[in-house]
Amino acid sequence: MILNLLTPNTMTQRRDELTNHDYDGIQEYDNDLPPWWVFLFYLTFVFALIYLLNYHVFQTAPSQSQEYAMEMEAARVELAAYEASAAGQLPISFMEKETDLEAGKQIYSKNCVPCHGPDGGGTVGPNLTDQYYLHGNTAEDYFKVISNGVPEKGMIPWNNTLSRREILQVASYIQNRLHGTTPAQPKEPQGTLHDKSISMLSKKPKMNAN
Amino acid sequence: MPQTTIYYDNKIVRNFAWATVLWGIVGMLVGVLIAVQLFMPEANLNTEYTTYGRIRPLHTNAVIFAFVGNAIFMGVYYSLQRLLKTRMWSDALSQINFWGWQLIIVAAAISLPLGYTTSKEYAELEWPIDIAITLMWVVFGLNMIMTILNRREQHMYVAIWFYIATFVTVAVLHIVNSFELPLTLFKSYSFYAGVQDALVQWWYGHNAVAFFLTTPYLGMMYYFMPKAANRPVYSYRLSIIHFWSLIFIYIWAGPHHLLYSSLPDWAQSLGVVFSIMLIAPSWGGMINGLLTLRGVWDKVRVDPVLKMMVVAVTGYGMATFEGPMHSLKSVNALSHFTDWIPAHVHVGTLAWNGMFTFAILYYIIPRIFRTELYSLRLANMHFWLSTIGLVFWVVAMYWSGITQGLMWKQFTAEGTLQYPNFLETVLQVIPMYMVRALGGTIYLIGALIMAYNLIRTAASGSLISDEPALVPQRDTNEHEAVSWHRRLEGKPALFTVLVTLAVLIGGIVEFMPAFLVKSNVPTLASVKPYTPLELHGRDVYIKEGCVGCHSQMIRPFRSETERYGEYSKAGEFVYDHPFLWGSKRTGPDLHRIGGKYQDSWHYNHMMVPESMSPGSIMPAYPWLVENIIDTSLTSDMVAAMRTLGVPYSSQTVNDASLLLNEQALQITERLKKDGISTHSHSEMVALIAYLQRLGIDIRQTTTTQIITP
Repeated sequence: MILNLLTPNTMTQRRDELTNHDYDGIQEYDNDLPPWWVFLFYLTFVFALIYLLNYHVFQTAPSQSQEYAMEMEAARVELAAYEASAAGQLPISFMEKETDLEAGKQIYSKNCVPCHGPDGGGTVGPNLTDQYYLHGNTAEDYFKVISNGVPEKGMIPWNNTLSRREILQVASYIQNRLHGTTPAQPKEPQGTLHDKSISMLSKKPKMNAN
Repeated sequence: MPQTTIYYDNKIVRNFAWATVLWGIVGMLVGVLIAVQLFMPEANLNTEYTTYGRIRPLHTNAVIFAFVGNAIFMGVYYSLQRLLKTRMWSDALSQINFWGWQLIIVAAAISLPLGYTTSKEYAELEWPIDIAITLMWVVFGLNMIMTILNRREQHMYVAIWFYIATFVTVAVLHIVNSFELPLTLFKSYSFYAGVQDALVQWWYGHNAVAFFLTTPYLGMMYYFMPKAANRPVYSYRLSIIHFWSLIFIYIWAGPHHLLYSSLPDWAQSLGVVFSIMLIAPSWGGMINGLLTLRGVWDKVRVDPVLKMMVVAVTGYGMATFEGPMHSLKSVNALSHFTDWIPAHVHVGTLAWNGMFTFAILYYIIPRIFRTELYSLRLANMHFWLSTIGLVFWVVAMYWSGITQGLMWKQFTAEGTLQYPNFLETVLQVIPMYMVRALGGTIYLIGALIMAYNLIRTAASGSLISDEPALVPQRDTNEHEAVSWHRRLEGKPALFTVLVTLAVLIGGIVEFMPAFLVKSNVPTLASVKPYTPLELHGRDVYIKEGCVGCHSQMIRPFRSETERYGEYSKAGEFVYDHPFLWGSKRTGPDLHRIGGKYQDSWHYNHMMVPESMSPGSIMPAYPWLVENIIDTSLTSDMVAAMRTLGVPYSSQTVNDASLLLNEQALQITERLKKDGISTHSHSEMVALIAYLQRLGIDIRQTTTTQIITP
């Protein structure tokens, strides 16, 4: 019965014939359904059928976990290609170029300020300007700490958010620009003294609690 | 044919009309306030009672249930009497319906700012109010059904079909979604947990849009549009087809709110295909409305009532095309959790609901006060303000939504996120938030002008409380051979039964497997119930409405797992009464926030968000250190969770306070080491405990233990 209504018949199509309905003066035409509308309706049924068959019967389309695995795999391949390229093989060493240091400054102010302070004096995190280091002072040390974080002390790993280049840029900014300055409110020294002249005569590390 | 004089009750219509105007303005005002808070957090007036998380639900509840709710009663009480040629069955029930509904609104307006909320969207009101809503809805339904049974028309007009569907379905939705276990007079826990709670909630949420914001308005469109245009309805056949297909298909589409979530794939797919199949039924309503205006388009240019109706119905058509498009996974991958969603919603609400309500008010008020509209010019001005306000609002949010979606997903060549700091994506769209607030303000000014215009109109006439009408006696004989549907239109009981069946099927098919088939929610051995302190913290999270801006649902995309960590698994939410997945990310997702920062970071961030996240638009929560959790409830809370099926031992229930104190002291000690002293029973400590717990259980799970369906 519904199907009868859904089938517009062009031969008998009625145009603006009133039904005998009258509700508070409202009348109704007995017009057929617009053919394009009926077509659209059928089309969505076809879509639904194909969609369900595709995802759940023939499983020609991936489930959401498969889709995720595919996306990660594609990214891995892309990244491997990038790392094999010249741009991907940046050596781990401090950078000197002004543009890199400026980029490092931007990264620092966006990500590091809450814990290390705007001038590197340290707040929740340690002072970055003094001669004391908790995890060493080579470019490799910097790279390792920024990449992997120090989760037990609340520093999060940044290797998912910062690229290799960005990590080196921010490390270089800290080493070449912040280090050795005098912050407004320096946090007390933590870790090992790494002074160029007396680096081997380091004090016993004064570790923070926990 | 013998005729009698009867009297239509216009007083009840007037009452609902003024309530509509009043609550509409209040609701929009709160809307403008929260819009401003999103670029100026200090606009929370520095009190917990007017902070975004608590008054965002106040805005949604006010505009949906107070503004639109009263407008529905206004339109139904006006049109039903005339379409059935009878007065409302019971004036007493009409009055109870009116005053009861206003009391519920007042209760909502008091309880939501106080933080009494279930956190389930558009169903935030706590259990005593839920019961009151049920009672009032029954009063309304009873009054309507008895009026239908006492009608003088043989057949029910299409408007009434939609009213019946509204009554039946809203009752079912409200009752099923409100299953909750009371803890105190103002606090309850959802009966459902995690994935199941999400499924029920969005079955409700989606169909609240369908059966509170759509079907009653379609019913009112079928009455007021042909009346205002004085034209016959375009097609009776189309009415039949689009009515039944709309109510049947709508119910199934809820899961499209949960695409790429922990909901099983099959349920998501049902949400997708039924959303697509919904296009034609929705557009059936739009074209039946717009084509009714054939031959009177010259009138549309001058008559503000018709003008507003045209924009309203066009907005309905746009929103009901966009909705299904959002339900396609590829679009949803970008649009979900962004400002694109509120943009979509506001095309529906500002155009379809708002402007149709304005049109009805402009239609009804001069008629029941037997006078002319005070100022056509002001009404036209209102039309333009509404339209321009709407355009500002939605264009700004489309822009910001798409910007957010793209920024969240952008990777660099080196395989890292282009915008790893979520805050960058927030700062980018703040100018759009300002434009949105401007659009909302313009729309509100329009409504204020309307209020003035209507009040002057009413003052210039006098209310015809009981409007006389000469009507024929009921004629029960069919005079000609009629179709099966025509006969059905004369059988309201059977009609109601069929409507009920049509709306129940979709829900049952989706719920049953999700509740009964274990494999839909694979359990994870490492996921343990919350500790007593964390339960308190969760309640603080709920009370402050954190879920309004922060999701707890990491979707299976590289851009999300890189940003937040392992994507969320169904088994992680089995103890979440209620679920807190959220629907919007104004701030970042929090599902794996546990252990990411130190306790002191959270403390500082909550006290002064900008200290940890410069530029943040999150408001400060200094009252968290002053408010003390009610530890006399701790044991009851654990026991309540146990009743709901969370596997706490009776030992845990008994020792709840001890366990709480122990954990609270640990956190207080850790904070002390960072130079922060705070009361160990402050809400702050409880909230930190909860946040630090979020999403960490799964870390002890090896990947092989994670079973995916």
